[in-house]
Amino acid sequence: MRRTIGVAAAALLFCAGCSSMGVEPWERDILAKDEMQLTTDELEAATDDHIYFSKEASSGGRGFGGGGCGCN
Amino acid sequence: MQRDIRLDLAVDAWQGRFQAMGSPCEVVSEARKRRDALEVTSLVAAEAWRIEDKFSRYLDGNIVDRINSAAGRPVEVDNETADLLDFAVTLYRLSEHRFDITSGVLRRVWRFDGSDKVPGSESVGEVLQWVGWHRVDWRRPVLAMPHGMEIDFGGIGKEYAVDRCAGLIKELDGDPCLVNFGGDLVATQAPGRRRSWKVAIEGDTAAAPDRIIDLKQGALATSGDARRFLLRDGIRYSHILDPTTGWPIRDAPRSITIAADSCVEAGMISTLAILKGAAAEHFLEAQDVAYWCRR
Amino acid sequence: MSRKENCSISAALAAATCTLLGSGVPAPVDAQEEPLWDFNTSLLYYGEDGDRVKDFSVSAIARRMFVDDRFLTLSLTVDGLTGATPSGAIRQDVPQTFTRPSGNAAYTVPPEVLPLDDTFKDTRVALGAGWQQPVGETSLINVGASASREYDYTHVGVNAKMARDFNQRNTTLSAGFAYSFDSLDPVGGAPTPLTPMLDVGDTSNRLGDQDKDVLDLIIGITQVLSRNLVVQANYSYSKSDGYLTDPYKVLSLVDGTTGDTLLRTLTPGVAGPSHQFLFENRPGERTKHSIYGQVKYYMNGKVLDASYRYMTDDWDIDSHTVDLRYRIPFGADSYFEPHLRFYTQSEAEFYQLSIPDSQPLPGFASADYRLGNFDAITAGLKYGWRTRNDNEMSVRVEAYRQSGTVPSSQIIGNQAARDNYPDLNAVIVQVGYRF
Repeated sequence: MRRTIGVAAAALLFCAGCSSMGVEPWERDILAKDEMQLTTDELEAATDDHIYFSKEASSGGRGFGGGGCGCN
Repeated sequence: MQRDIRLDLAVDAWQGRFQAMGSPCEVVSEARKRRDALEVTSLVAAEAWRIEDKFSRYLDGNIVDRINSAAGRPVEVDNETADLLDFAVTLYRLSEHRFDITSGVLRRVWRFDGSDKVPGSESVGEVLQWVGWHRVDWRRPVLAMPHGMEIDFGGIGKEYAVDRCAGLIKELDGDPCLVNFGGDLVATQAPGRRRSWKVAIEGDTAAAPDRIIDLKQGALATSGDARRFLLRDGIRYSHILDPTTGWPIRDAPRSITIAADSCVEAGMISTLAILKGAAAEHFLEAQDVAYWCRR
Repeated sequence: MSRKENCSISAALAAATCTLLGSGVPAPVDAQEEPLWDFNTSLLYYGEDGDRVKDFSVSAIARRMFVDDRFLTLSLTVDGLTGATPSGAIRQDVPQTFTRPSGNAAYTVPPEVLPLDDTFKDTRVALGAGWQQPVGETSLINVGASASREYDYTHVGVNAKMARDFNQRNTTLSAGFAYSFDSLDPVGGAPTPLTPMLDVGDTSNRLGDQDKDVLDLIIGITQVLSRNLVVQANYSYSKSDGYLTDPYKVLSLVDGTTGDTLLRTLTPGVAGPSHQFLFENRPGERTKHSIYGQVKYYMNGKVLDASYRYMTDDWDIDSHTVDLRYRIPFGADSYFEPHLRFYTQSEAEFYQLSIPDSQPLPGFASADYRLGNFDAITAGLKYGWRTRNDNEMSVRVEAYRQSGTVPSSQIIGNQAARDNYPDLNAVIVQVGYRF
């Protein structure tokens, strides 16, 4: 448990050090495309979250997990 | 009056802002370097202030002041002023005399401050003797008009400035820009970094929500009475006056936005439409232009 | 004024404008009103094999744009569930009879067949609403609420999230929370944990309604690494409190040596269970931690989406999930997207296949296959295209397979000869339309 938090904190700190990385505002053309968004299809992602929440013991990760159902 | 330029990076484009012709003006530029964006904004601001100084009715000594204080004597005008006067004549005819640059004197009796002070028909009748392009003797390049009459380029000035600035930007052959003078705007090219320029047309809130136009290129201009009007006995008097009667145009839409190839064209179609009052939509349908009309 | 005269007005105006501006023919204007509403709809079929669960679902998300990048989102899902689910009891060589969760009837399962309870014909309606708006130049805030209802389950929840950009929008930090309050009203009432399944009509071991609440917290960072590459990392914490047990699931009470389920003496003329079954019991608390990482990489028109999630909780469950999607454009207006997902989890501390009578009764026990040790794989293909009226349509077909193992220490006697873990095979078909 503590190890998990340690790993997570280290990962976030490493990323915070990424302050010099990135692109100029005019280089964002590809990143602006629909297919490059982190969640391309909200409904498909919500559907998958719900199915796997009902059939497995884990949930969430990307956002708030599925939940709020008496799924069997 | 403030004549400075502010330059900020807004999301993925430069936004240069300044005040001109009584409106907040902005130049949105997809230039890469700050100094290129500043160069384009400075160019636009300089042209806007030049036109404002030359044609504003508030400044002493400019061509409009000389014409308005000529007291009946003829005045010789330069080419640019002559071009604008010729254009005004065309609009006077196309609008069946309702677009008239001599109608400015009506502001002596009509003050649109949201109050209920509607002038009496006698005072309106009196001021009408100094209104009417037919009284003006215009033979290029000489203009003569009776003492007491005045001309006012307020109805064309902003749109003209926008198009002049767009022309200057195109000559620079630089990055896509959007020139927006208080809602009268033109896109010199389709933007490179996103699918289109997004322009919001203000709505009244709940009844008429804001609309968003995806503009790839071309111009948008809006005519309307959202802010300037008089209200008395439940009747709303729009600030757009009919120079042939001296009274406000009846049943004009609250706001008309037109998309056209140039800002002058968009602005004049929206003005001509508003001058049609109740027949505005009918007129716009026949023009085959993209329009957004709100009553 | 006639139509012909009107047309000549705009022509005359265009000509006069050209004269005034002195330019050549300007480029023709291109302006379209942006639709204020955005809709994402789908039809879903989820079907497990045999007599097991089948689900039909219709969903819609509507998003309305307001000026200044503000959005209202409304969502609705209606789900219709049929089919049966493993009750937690193990197979036997003889027929087994169970009392239904309602307590009103009984059902019999043939020999060698995995006991499934098919009481779950259910319809669920879920609603959601959310509001998003920018805060200042670099931040975004999201608030929302959700609610859902089935005949035995009600959920309400609120959520909020804030995100802030740094470094010319190359880095985004976000934090959010969700709180939900769920209440259960199980058919027949929640059973007292670890008490036996009783005869039809006997509801003496029932408790009233139950509830639970869940708090979720998430923090994350998104970083643009290059023109083609963006990554995200999140840490989530989840704490559930209350009734976390499944009121319909049981464990078979078995002989400590043979592993066979103990028989039960039936009263003549009264229907009831043929063997001894105990209702399961889970702890009243669960704390989960997950870390999640995602990469999106653009290579010449194709996009790779790869993510990994590690989850661990205080029920001793650890899981790993790897999800891969690869979008391949096909022509100018369509694409294929193959999908692979790998999942593995270790069993909960209190997971056990059955309860041996040779040992004292455990405090917590569950034979629910979803808390067991299993691997799962999903393989699918999605095809999407731009329709003639410039909207988007997609179809995806996926196969999901779970296969588990019961730890050998839990297998007693004759159980070794049987296939104990209820493997799952399901098909997912979803059709989506965005307009």
